Amino acid sequence: MTLQTFLFVCLSGVVLGALYALMATGLAVVWTTLGIFNFAHGTFIAAGAYLAWQLSQGGHSAGFLPNAAISIASLFAVGVLFHLLLVKPFERKPNAVLLSVMTTLAGASIVEGIINLVWGPRSKQLQSIVGDIRFAGIVMSYNDVVMIAVAVAILAAVGAFLRYSTIGRSMRAVAQNREAAQLLGLNVPLLYALAFGLSAALAGMAGLFVGSMRFMTPSMGSEPLMKALIVVIFGGIARFTSPIYAAFVVGMLEAFSTYYVGLYWTPAVLFALMIAVLMIKPEGLFGKYERSV
Amino acid sequence: MRYDPPFRRTPGFIPALLVLGVLAAFPLLFTDSHARHLLILVFIYAIVAASWDLSLGYGGLVNFSHVALFAAGIYSYGILAKTLGVSPWLAIAAGGVVAVVLASAIALPILRLDGIYVILVTLAFSQLLYQIVISQSDVTGGTSGMVTLPGLKVGDYRFIGNNRIGYYYVALALFAASIAGLHAIIRSRLGRAMVALRDNKYYAMARGVSEARTRLAALAISAFFAGIAGGFYGSYIRVASPDAFGLGQLTLILSMVLAGGAGTLWGPAAGAFIITLLSEAIADYGSWRTIIISLIIIAVLIFYPGGFWAGIQDLRDLVDRLRTSMLALYRRRYARAIRERLLGATEKMITTRYGKVAVADTGGSGPPLLFIHGNSACKEAFKYQFADFAADHRVIAFDLPGHGVSHNMDPETAYNVPAYAEIAETVLQSLGVDAAAVFGWSLGGYVALELAARGKIAVRALAIAGTAPLNVVPDDFAAGYNPDSHLVLAGKRFYSPQEARDFAGSATAPRSADSAFLHTTFRRTDGRTRLYMISRIGVTDWPRQMRMLREGRIPFAILNGANDPFLNHAYIRDLTYGNIWTEKPHDIPDGKHAPFFNQPELFNAALRAFLQYAASLARRPEPAAAATAP
Repeated sequence: MTLQTFLFVCLSGVVLGALYALMATGLAVVWTTLGIFNFAHGTFIAAGAYLAWQLSQGGHSAGFLPNAAISIASLFAVGVLFHLLLVKPFERKPNAVLLSVMTTLAGASIVEGIINLVWGPRSKQLQSIVGDIRFAGIVMSYNDVVMIAVAVAILAAVGAFLRYSTIGRSMRAVAQNREAAQLLGLNVPLLYALAFGLSAALAGMAGLFVGSMRFMTPSMGSEPLMKALIVVIFGGIARFTSPIYAAFVVGMLEAFSTYYVGLYWTPAVLFALMIAVLMIKPEGLFGKYERSV
Repeated sequence: MRYDPPFRRTPGFIPALLVLGVLAAFPLLFTDSHARHLLILVFIYAIVAASWDLSLGYGGLVNFSHVALFAAGIYSYGILAKTLGVSPWLAIAAGGVVAVVLASAIALPILRLDGIYVILVTLAFSQLLYQIVISQSDVTGGTSGMVTLPGLKVGDYRFIGNNRIGYYYVALALFAASIAGLHAIIRSRLGRAMVALRDNKYYAMARGVSEARTRLAALAISAFFAGIAGGFYGSYIRVASPDAFGLGQLTLILSMVLAGGAGTLWGPAAGAFIITLLSEAIADYGSWRTIIISLIIIAVLIFYPGGFWAGIQDLRDLVDRLRTSMLALYRRRYARAIRERLLGATEKMITTRYGKVAVADTGGSGPPLLFIHGNSACKEAFKYQFADFAADHRVIAFDLPGHGVSHNMDPETAYNVPAYAEIAETVLQSLGVDAAAVFGWSLGGYVALELAARGKIAVRALAIAGTAPLNVVPDDFAAGYNPDSHLVLAGKRFYSPQEARDFAGSATAPRSADSAFLHTTFRRTDGRTRLYMISRIGVTDWPRQMRMLREGRIPFAILNGANDPFLNHAYIRDLTYGNIWTEKPHDIPDGKHAPFFNQPELFNAALRAFLQYAASLARRPEPAAAATAP
């Protein structure tokens, strides 16, 4: 392996890592705050991509940034709605985890069905930013560069929001101890809904990038969902930052394993590694076994 | 003291046989190939859903690899039967073995995990299988799957022929065998261990249940059925598609389990039936189909979390309530003369706070004597006492709520011992009686004790039979009664015909021309009275009853049958009584649980002697000091 190839593989790992970080952070926000696993996260990604595609069609497109903002804001609303309709009714049931798995799975089928009805099964692609950077013999598309930059910026913003803003700190408090947070007068249902909305908005953001890198189909969300799942398990959810580190680790692993064992075996390698991590360190590589953002 | 008869003795046996009979006769009546096809799919999905219920519902393991194991069964059938040319029958069996091996591999990482981690690992494992399948395209056909798999045949007969009749019966046999096998496992030691771990993990472990071993067994066994179903599915559809690993298939089968009712075995099978037919009925609507099915699943989970099976139970509950109250209404209206002839007393309905009860009263000016009947009986059980005591007593008896021709009442409030005692007070008061001698039998014995302990009616003499007074509830139940007897049926709501015969036979007398009415009244009894008798046991102030017996202000007698199959006679003998007739429980020779009915002459003589003794005490100034045998 030449240095150039090595750098190239590293870079593609970083690109994947940035994408996975966006997906996994959204998933982890819901998991840490509400303690449930949202199987509709993948379809949120698809919905974000399709909404942005729809907005970019026709002559009266408002430009990339407003389109992205509208689709992300709509996804936030979808997330809140999802929480109110599919998760909240089961919150107090003894088997809430299993029930919410079932309802979010059903919700995912509904969203996927709606995408299918509205946009049809034909694959589409979001316009990506044309052009690439050449540096020391390495080629990198503007799209990837922008994605890494935006992903890092957004994750930093979310991190700052969770760490320094009152609402973000309240969300972390609810995640750590729901009853105590409630005793302190925090509006738990509102914070839960906000967490779900934030998670869906992050998914929509990831959808913008996925849609510009690959072809969009109504079922495009299931693969990112599995990747996000691997990342979250890999990193654990002890801190907000754990899935981010894990995302880059997984991205690197994927890039190198694609180089060495090929595209087909890479998912199997990742899953096998994840199972190994769970057997040895079920709390994830970066964390303690507890819920907290 | 858990009652767990073999399946053929339970109330579900006849319905299950009926369903099996209908399914077996179906292809003979309908030769339509499509209808048979649907039912074959129903059988396959029912096996997958019911076996998933073993690990998910009973084991409490949210095992998301189950559908992947089903898919693994399909693929191992494809590879063995098509690529390697193994006999299809062997390949189906091999599907089960492959699934067990894979499940054991899955079990290893999740033996120590809990909750959502189990979901994630098993889901990841099924994705791993999926990735392996689509990456090994030379063996598995990759994303396009395997087609034209060999079908089942014996000799030259192809099972698909004659409109799939061969497949239909193989599927039905597999379905019946799987359900029977799963039912046997659930009832076995392993099944109990699984449920114990699910309900209270640390208690189960403290009792010596190995969590790892039980989980492994649960996963392996449920995988075996899924693998067999997969192999058979492969032989029937003759296609192995990687879609079988997908989230869509997972959602569909999981919805059968949850909407059917997890942890019930029959629920997921019923769920498979309903959801398969439903999804077939709306198959032409494209994407609307998944949307509609998903909406139905969510609606079921929100509005009817118990699923279809709970719905069937509720329906049964409704039918039973209607049946018993209609039966009571009919008897109240049209069989009154028979009852009045039996007791030689007029019957009237008395309104209480809880509802109307039927009361038989001989009237007259003699001292009042109240009889209170037991669980699932009626006031006519005392017909020999009415005949004997009516001459010199005012004999009164009433049907407890939900019994005899009294009304069914609100189970939450009316079906417990204090409410029964309050109803007895209301009955006596509205007959203008404020002091009476009381005899209570079995459940009625507790009512009599409670009535005396409440003190609103002056109880001049108190006698019980077939009742073990209780100190510490519920622990003393185990000491006071013989758990091997049919008594374990006493708290059961629905009886099979055999159970009804057994319990009524032991509690009163085996069916004969004389005792037939006790068996027919049994079928009228509101089953909820039995259920609530047990579940509302805590509302009674048991220690107050024991204090009353120890203090001995009321003359007291125990007139048990010497051969009562339910009672632990030693426990009753060793309790402390302040004022008991003959200084110890007086056993009626050859009497059983209802000595007044089995041995009426001996019983009546004893009761009469006791009443005279109580009357003689009442004439003396110091009753407690004179508590000697007459």
